Amino acid sequence: MPSLFFYFFAATLILASLCVVLARNPLYNVLALVVAIFSLSSLFVLLQAFFVGMILLLVYAGAVLVFFIFVVMCLNLTAISLTFVEQRRFKTLGYLSSILFAFSFFFATQSFLDAQLFATSSIRGTIETVGQILFTDYLLPFELTSLLLLIALFGIVSLAQGALNTGKEEGQS
Amino acid sequence: MIALDHYLLLSGLVFAIGILGVTTSRSVLKILLSLELLLAASNLSFVAFSKFNGDYNGQLIVFFVILVAAAEVAIGLAIIVLMYQRLSTIQADELKEMKW
Repeated sequence: MPSLFFYFFAATLILASLCVVLARNPLYNVLALVVAIFSLSSLFVLLQAFFVGMILLLVYAGAVLVFFIFVVMCLNLTAISLTFVEQRRFKTLGYLSSILFAFSFFFATQSFLDAQLFATSSIRGTIETVGQILFTDYLLPFELTSLLLLIALFGIVSLAQGALNTGKEEGQS
Repeated sequence: MIALDHYLLLSGLVFAIGILGVTTSRSVLKILLSLELLLAASNLSFVAFSKFNGDYNGQLIVFFVILVAAAEVAIGLAIIVLMYQRLSTIQADELKEMKW
């Protein structure tokens, strides 16, 4: 039964990520990424990484992708700019490189294919177990991420302020 | 029971699709979305290795990757909005000059 779930969510993940890359409407790209993130977090739950799966769902589907949808709707991309997107110059080169990467990755994982490793460890990534490591071994990096988020906030505010100033200048001239 | 190689192959496939998106799309928004796919694929590898090695450190790295990705996306989208205001397009090819 778990293997059935794995194949279902794996197929959903691949289809959704293809849709992210190939769909023409930017809104569909973002919504396909929501589906991809949802199936990815389901795979995390199958791997018994409950905390990380939940965080992924909350942060990505809840916050980041809402940002994306907000920006797509804000930009109000017209039909002209959308058709222009599809005139890609290095299309074949990109396809070739990604197929080459997929093949090289396949050959790189050959050793794992032969080994047939199964999950015998009994680790369960609940909030309790992950949080215990987070607040002991990883305390300094955890505190530093708060600093990183603060710096990101400063960066966004300064960028928005620059946009506000140029908007005023254009309005006056 | 699913073996480790299934997870790794899935992660590699999603990573290849992400590379396809980064290299072929000309819209900056789509490139940013494909970057998210790349991060998601590597996260899957981390969690799979964490489970199969019986080591929690992989899951903690995924936690930090998600945090950094959130900050990266916020700044990237701010830059995209600025670019649209100045150039009224989000094509990567239009970014020809280093100075605004």
